[in-house]
Amino acid sequence: MPLDTTSTYSSTLLRQDGRRWNELRKISASISTQPSSDGSSLVTMGNTSVVCTITGPREGRGQRDNNNAIVETELNIAPFAQLDRRRAGRTDKRVQELQTTISQAFQSQLFTHLYPRSSILISLTILSLDGGLLAACLNAASIALVDAGVPMPSILAAVSSGVIIPTDNSLARPEPILDLNNAEEQELPFLSLATVRGDADEEDKISVLVMDSRVQLTGTDNPAETMLRIGLDGCQSVRRTMEEVIRRQGTKVMQGRR
Amino acid sequence: MKSLKRSLGDSSANISSKVFIRSLKSGRVQKVVREQYLRKDIPCSSQLCSTCAANAAPDASGNVPKPILSRRPAGTKQFPNGHYIIPDTNVLLTGIDLLEHSDAFYDVIILQTVLEELRNRSLPLYNRLMSLVKSEEKRFYLFFNEFRAETNVLRQEGETVNDRNDRAVRKSAEWYASHLDATTKKQGPAIVVITNDADNRRKSKAEKITALSMRDYVSSLENAEKLLDMVAEGQDRAERGELIYPEYYSMSKMQTGLKAGIMHQGVFHVSPYNYLEGTVKVPTFDKPLLILGRESSNRSVSGDVVVVEVLPKDQWKQPSSRILDEEAMNQNENADDDDNAEAIVTEGERRALQEAVKTAHRAGADRAQPTARVVGVMKRSWRPYVGTVDASSGGGNRQQTVFLVPMDKKIPKIRMRTRQVDELIGKRVVATIDTWDRDSRYPAGHFLRSLGDLETKDAETEALLLEYDVQYRPFPKAVLDCLPAEGHNWKVPADKSEPGWQGRKDLRDLLVCSIDPPGCQDIDDALHARQLPNGNFEVGVHIADVSHFVRPNNSMDAEATARGTTVYLVDKRIDMLPMLLGTDLCSLKPNVERFAFSTIWELTPDADIVSADFTKSVIYSREGFSYEAAQKRIDDKSAQDPLTAGMRHLLALSKLLRAKRMAAGALNLSSPEVRIESSETANETADPLADVKTKAHLETNSLVEEFMLLANITVATKIQSVFPQTALLRRHATPPASNFADLADQLKRMRGFELDVASSKMLADSLDQCIDPAHPFFNTLIRILATRCMTSAEYFCSGSHAEPEFRHYGLASEIYTHFTSPIRRYADLLVHRQLAYAIGYDSIAGETVDEGLRNMNKLENICRNLNFRHRNAQHAGRASIEYYVGQALKQRQEKMGDEGVVEEGYVMRVFENGVAIFVPKFGIEGVVRLEDFELSSKKSAKGKNTKEADAEELVIKESEFEPENYTLTVFEKGRKDEMSRRIELFQEVKVRVSSEEKGGAREKGKRRVRMVVLP
Repeated sequence: MPLDTTSTYSSTLLRQDGRRWNELRKISASISTQPSSDGSSLVTMGNTSVVCTITGPREGRGQRDNNNAIVETELNIAPFAQLDRRRAGRTDKRVQELQTTISQAFQSQLFTHLYPRSSILISLTILSLDGGLLAACLNAASIALVDAGVPMPSILAAVSSGVIIPTDNSLARPEPILDLNNAEEQELPFLSLATVRGDADEEDKISVLVMDSRVQLTGTDNPAETMLRIGLDGCQSVRRTMEEVIRRQGTKVMQGRR
Repeated sequence: MKSLKRSLGDSSANISSKVFIRSLKSGRVQKVVREQYLRKDIPCSSQLCSTCAANAAPDASGNVPKPILSRRPAGTKQFPNGHYIIPDTNVLLTGIDLLEHSDAFYDVIILQTVLEELRNRSLPLYNRLMSLVKSEEKRFYLFFNEFRAETNVLRQEGETVNDRNDRAVRKSAEWYASHLDATTKKQGPAIVVITNDADNRRKSKAEKITALSMRDYVSSLENAEKLLDMVAEGQDRAERGELIYPEYYSMSKMQTGLKAGIMHQGVFHVSPYNYLEGTVKVPTFDKPLLILGRESSNRSVSGDVVVVEVLPKDQWKQPSSRILDEEAMNQNENADDDDNAEAIVTEGERRALQEAVKTAHRAGADRAQPTARVVGVMKRSWRPYVGTVDASSGGGNRQQTVFLVPMDKKIPKIRMRTRQVDELIGKRVVATIDTWDRDSRYPAGHFLRSLGDLETKDAETEALLLEYDVQYRPFPKAVLDCLPAEGHNWKVPADKSEPGWQGRKDLRDLLVCSIDPPGCQDIDDALHARQLPNGNFEVGVHIADVSHFVRPNNSMDAEATARGTTVYLVDKRIDMLPMLLGTDLCSLKPNVERFAFSTIWELTPDADIVSADFTKSVIYSREGFSYEAAQKRIDDKSAQDPLTAGMRHLLALSKLLRAKRMAAGALNLSSPEVRIESSETANETADPLADVKTKAHLETNSLVEEFMLLANITVATKIQSVFPQTALLRRHATPPASNFADLADQLKRMRGFELDVASSKMLADSLDQCIDPAHPFFNTLIRILATRCMTSAEYFCSGSHAEPEFRHYGLASEIYTHFTSPIRRYADLLVHRQLAYAIGYDSIAGETVDEGLRNMNKLENICRNLNFRHRNAQHAGRASIEYYVGQALKQRQEKMGDEGVVEEGYVMRVFENGVAIFVPKFGIEGVVRLEDFELSSKKSAKGKNTKEADAEELVIKESEFEPENYTLTVFEKGRKDEMSRRIELFQEVKVRVSSEEKGGAREKGKRRVRMVVLP
């Protein structure tokens, strides 16, 4: 078994995969990967890779909202995505919660009022999972929605951030780290964070914040604030990468038209 | 659709993958893929190198780590330019003691590859290494070679993991050498790889890397003589002797066996009376399985976690009723003669055997007990052992092999090589076990250090503390820094608006007093009582508010967690908290204001609880009584002041509480307790033994005890309601009835008493029945024996047991915890924190309560440590008293010039060749062998030295043993009719207790307490 982060980090300032505290894993994103769908993307963050396809906006079935489009999410973790082959059932509460979180994030983010009585379906498939599940899903959905042509004020960028709380020295400050992999998620407290770009001269706005770990919330240098601070920077850097991908795709589309 | 495979463009050239396969406990196999980001900014951390320092990456606060490795590393004959050391994993596994040595091994580079492997092999060693890395003076640098682009090594086709790791070590050494040469632009310090693997050394040589074996490296150091003793055994020996022990099963075979239920796992314990007899308690069976003989115990040392296999039924035996002492045995006699020609047993038969074990266990003590043999060791619990060197003669400076005879009789002799035999004889020596090979009768180990001459106070105290793993070093500066800056001048702030007063009640007007043993400095508790207008009583127990001074998670807290408890030795106290707190600021001394944590009840005159309230407070103790002084004050009819009246109320209420507890079935248990009063007036003429006193029990003792119990129970209920999963409680499991089977049988046969163990109430009642009018001590003796049949009480986290399991059997309470002694027990301190949270007390500076209070994992670890420390502290205290009694006896003998003291003793156990006798006066238990029976009174008149007398007479004594009647008849050979002595269990005998030096050069200077049964 490899080492753990907590005991060696203070001596080496290196994480268990060789990254520094503020480094993201390698992100690659491609857009329009499935031409048959309305919009699609493939996002990989390190060893986590997610395929997203968008269906809609199209006429909603069943429950409909007379003023807005309804955003729905279908999350499917492939049986081979994790260490152990395992088929997640429909009833998995964790998956259901993620679906709700993603739907709600985009429900308020997109200009849904332009599509009354319609529905937008986000289908996510996790091909391989190594931490940062929610962040990768949000990012994939975000650029797939751009591909599908759903209007939005800014793209939503997400990242996870964690904190190393030194155990042997209470005076030491908690050390933030960005974009955790699976091993780090097992060991450290972490949160997932997504932001959208704020209006001119304004700071970015947090649209999703999920934390399942228990950390101290008060005091100066508390772990929660430390994580948030680095997470916000991380989101910006993720957004830059994704915008770059979108621009490239845009150029290609424009060139294709000409 | 695009391929999901990562394209290997140049941007991803810095990513490699680490793929490994691991098998889980459940037997499944996982393939793990991890990313590795390779980089060039991992510094070499040498102060000589300027490039690395320039591009080192800062942490989140912008600090850049300082280079660790020295600018001018130590040189040796071989490396005049200085050298950095890179050890490989095996060297760390066997030689961590050397690396910790303060004379050598500075500037060491620990590679990630090595660290990872070490962690997999041994977690304790890993922790020791990590603390070396964190200590600055040794200059150990952790180099993450796997992440540096230049030193990352991929496993090649057909290469074993070990070879790959060796190659990684060589690659790093090579890089270091060339890197340092390049940056310093001259010949840099030498990089020395230390490895005991000859093949690796050969390959290094081919790659022009300096690689040495541990022995060669240490030989080249200046103080090689001393250090060479510490080089571990075993690696270099190639020739194999005759294989004495059977081979261990493979791990997978054991796991399959454990799963199938035909093998069992448990901790191996050696009997204190017979070193060749061990037991393993396994979860499957009620009673422990017996392990008889060296071959069956198969190289396991007491405390190891072993896997055993039940032996065929024809090899089942009665537990041996012989006393066997390794020291007393001659080597030649030990050889196991019984030829365990192993029959081939099929799986089916093995299964049937498991059933037979259960039936045999049910059947009771009469039949042969199931025996087992060790087939493998899951986990070694080897630690440093204190002992004496047993060597026939000195050997000058020549290296020779000697035996270390550990103090702990349960541990086998350890073979070790040394060059300083002359210096070590007659000293207390610490050594550790390295290996135990199949061809060696005894384990092989190496010398760690010498504590000093035998029987000097310092050496013996240190030996004791080491043996019981008591942390006795002075408190480090980081801990002392956590103390209040005012030191002894600290006072309760006069101004009530100070933060210290926040949330505190002013209870200074209450008439509080403390009652403790005489000379007690760390006063944990104080009491008060007063009658309320409605006729009820208000009773308060005030406990020192240690949690005010010890904040969670600082160095002092960490140190206290590690120490767990204060250890009381006869002439020394090893504190859990620094003196300033323990004996002054926290101690509820009389006539000073102190912070306290108070529990205040309203009790009816019948001692029923009307209400209970908890609060942090400030108290002013009016008087600090000793038990005796308090008793006198209460009995003094003329004292009519309110304080005395309060004490009388307390006494009356405590009697009622006690009666209630007894009615509920609380046990009145006994353990052999004596107290040593080191009187300052001890002058030359006084009898040194006069200091040894059995503990007196006054009414005031139980006064304090009752209210402490009440406080503990009340607090336990409160914290359990607020922390249902993580309350720190204490429980005493109900012992299985089978534990009492032996004692019940003995009582029935010898005295005709029935022991009813159906419940604690029944047991308490039947223990009350066991009275021998002629011997008042008999009842206490039975209580001592009954206590030994029980399990020990333990701390636990409320989430780890079901609620009915919370019960404290001995106290007959549904729930219990420790709240009343936070100065000397860490558990109490934690309970204080939990209670403070439970009553919504906000500590100063508005800090939130330590999140650790809700962390079950952390609490469980703490509980485990506390239980271990608590047990060790008790054992250390007892051993200290035993040692003191021995010394007192010795001094007395020297002064009086007689053969020892004649005392009453009671027979606790009867063996085939001796008896175990308990002497209440000194609280010691000893084994009396046949030769120590005096059959006629004329002999004691003879020569002064018993040994000479023995030698003159040369009488061979024989015995007849009747196991079913627990009787031993001792007689001189051939003269059974005229000279015999019949001894039975529980009998009172006169014994002469003396301290005796062992003769012969082999064990020079060693003493033991000798008991001789007088006619």
